[in-house]
Amino acid sequence: MNRSWSRTTLSIAGAATALAVLTACGGSGDDSSSDAGGGKGTAAKPVNITFWGWAKGTKEVVDAYNASQKNIHVTFEETPSGNAGGYAKISNAIKANNAPDLVSVEYPQLPEYVSQGGFQDISKYVTSDVKAKFLPQAIEQTTLGGKNWAIPFDAAPQAFFYRKDLFTKYGVEVPKTWDEFKTAAAKVKKADSKARIGTFFPDDPTTFQAMVWQAGAQWFKAEGTTWKINTTDATTTKVADYWQGLVKDGLVRSDASFSPAWTNSLKTGATIGYLGASWGGGVMKSTLPEQSGKWAVAPIPTWDGKPASGMLGGTTFAVPKNSKKAEAATEFAKWMTTTEDGIKARISSGTSSAFPAALALRPAAKKAFDASFYGGQDIYQVFEAGGSSIKQGWTWGPATGTTNTTLKDQFGKVAGGGATIPGAIKAAHDATVAELTKRGLKVEG
Amino acid sequence: MKARTRAAATLLTPFFVLFTAVMLIPIGYAVWLSLFTEQQSGLGFGGSETVFTGLGNYTAALGDRVFRDGFLVLLGYCVFYIPLMVGGALALALLLDSALARAKRFFQLALFLPHAVPGIIAAMIWLYLYTPGLSPVVSAMHSGGIGFDFFSPSGALPSIVNIALWEWLGYNMVIFYAALQAIDRSVLEAATVDGAGGWRTAFSIKLPLIRASVLMVVLFTIIGSLQLFTEPLILNTGSGSAVSSSWTPNMYAYTAAFSRNDFGLAAAASVLLALTAALLSFVVTRLTGRKGKNA
Repeated sequence: MNRSWSRTTLSIAGAATALAVLTACGGSGDDSSSDAGGGKGTAAKPVNITFWGWAKGTKEVVDAYNASQKNIHVTFEETPSGNAGGYAKISNAIKANNAPDLVSVEYPQLPEYVSQGGFQDISKYVTSDVKAKFLPQAIEQTTLGGKNWAIPFDAAPQAFFYRKDLFTKYGVEVPKTWDEFKTAAAKVKKADSKARIGTFFPDDPTTFQAMVWQAGAQWFKAEGTTWKINTTDATTTKVADYWQGLVKDGLVRSDASFSPAWTNSLKTGATIGYLGASWGGGVMKSTLPEQSGKWAVAPIPTWDGKPASGMLGGTTFAVPKNSKKAEAATEFAKWMTTTEDGIKARISSGTSSAFPAALALRPAAKKAFDASFYGGQDIYQVFEAGGSSIKQGWTWGPATGTTNTTLKDQFGKVAGGGATIPGAIKAAHDATVAELTKRGLKVEG
Repeated sequence: MKARTRAAATLLTPFFVLFTAVMLIPIGYAVWLSLFTEQQSGLGFGGSETVFTGLGNYTAALGDRVFRDGFLVLLGYCVFYIPLMVGGALALALLLDSALARAKRFFQLALFLPHAVPGIIAAMIWLYLYTPGLSPVVSAMHSGGIGFDFFSPSGALPSIVNIALWEWLGYNMVIFYAALQAIDRSVLEAATVDGAGGWRTAFSIKLPLIRASVLMVVLFTIIGSLQLFTEPLILNTGSGSAVSSSWTPNMYAYTAAFSRNDFGLAAAASVLLALTAALLSFVVTRLTGRKGKNA
């Protein structure tokens, strides 16, 4: 009795622990056995794919897709936004071989993942007729080493969001150049000592990089098999000094992007402008519903008064290396990015103001967007102008993680005076060169 | 004898299975990872190749000033935090144990309650309480003429020590209080008969008698401090300015792995941190063990 009891317990305990260990190792995301692998699936034997994203309106898009056909079923899992932990999650999952079949990744981070071997080459699904649907810059940004690694979704031209009512109240003109922006910033501060025209985001170097891109700098250049890194050109220096001046003179706030502090300052009218990008239109609308009708959008100020824009963020969809369902995943990604139904579902959610990289979808996007938050302004016209002025030739390097982490750490000290923006760029430059050298790549700069 | 062996095996197997699965294998994997690095060719878009680098990641981590500075941060944190924590928890426990205290149960529970809040939630609550313009605490301080910026680089350490105190003070107080309760009442009565007042009893009788608990709490707190991660990470993402993304060694490993995709370096940094913790534990237990024998 005693003996058999202990033996049974032993085997149960053993089996239970073994099972726990096995299931823990197995992880999620790989249920390919039931789907007979790849392909686009059929109604009788649908392919199940898992998709990670955080962009506004994504859930609505997935629901619409699942309702529209029976061959592919998408399970959507919402992740924190890339900067706020989404990328950490993706990196972790890729390393553990349990990443989903499709992930969202912004243009700046794409080369980093590709160079680490984290994504699949999806060139065979990105045929020339697919490419032709997109803004050439978007295809350029997702083509690395001659292969396609992601399906671009939005184009993300920069834009300036501002409180129209307060600009009028303070007698401030909407700035067209950066000189005017500085004057306007001073005017806002003078009119209300607590109010500022905008924010320097220490946690988001891509906002600053978009400014540099807009001004015409090219930090990373691939020549032959060598990376040329140039961050000490006159253009970069000009932009860095300009922002250093704004921060030093207290003309802009310094808060983390989308942090409680930043959101609160918008709610209380302590921040009355936002230098963002097209997708910010939906973010502002869903963050500040009580300020509906008070906001407007203007083209981003430029250096010479002529239209020019960089790209700030912008989402693409890529297939992690462990997925066995690349075909179904890209099929779904193409639906999200190139069909009217896909864009309508996202924008009708009311939270997205995405500016599609697929040119033909822009009228549909514009039509689906409820612009009452912007007093009925045609904000897509502003994005359209911004989109066509995106400077060509900017490339992201293969070590954005290192470049931007270093920038971020240094930017954090700028407001307190512990670092300067030009100093931060220098540190990021050096860290990037060291990282590329460590990986065995040829680098100049 | 046989039955006894079997019983021992029954009782020990689950432990060793779990110990192997969740401790030994991950540690072994981390050590393995730490010996490799990724190499690329061309422009780097042809994927990467994993190559053996020996102790290369270890020298890289040790050679990185940011990593070394992380240990200085921990040192500063311990110097600041441990006296406050142990002193505060002892004071509270002695107060509860004193004859004057009323509603002991209530205070025990109330003081312990913050510990029941998960660290990440606690950090987020405090993030709000530190945010200027949002926090009643900050605005109260401002109207009182105290302009302290919790998110400035110099304010970061006090901000984090405060969160940690809030989380752990009650927990350690309960440990001390339990030890105080276990003191033989006749000893305390004898002290009273001999004419010792409340203060004298506390310092000359109670404290020496619970020294073992105090040392244990100090040891656990030091080891816990080495793991400092959640609170500064939340402060980093929430403020963007208070601390850098590699402020503590644990954060350094996290950033290396998940922001810079350098898993070898992250593993090496983690192993170095674990070794430091092991070494410190060894030293502290040896020191306290010896003192215990002499007493």
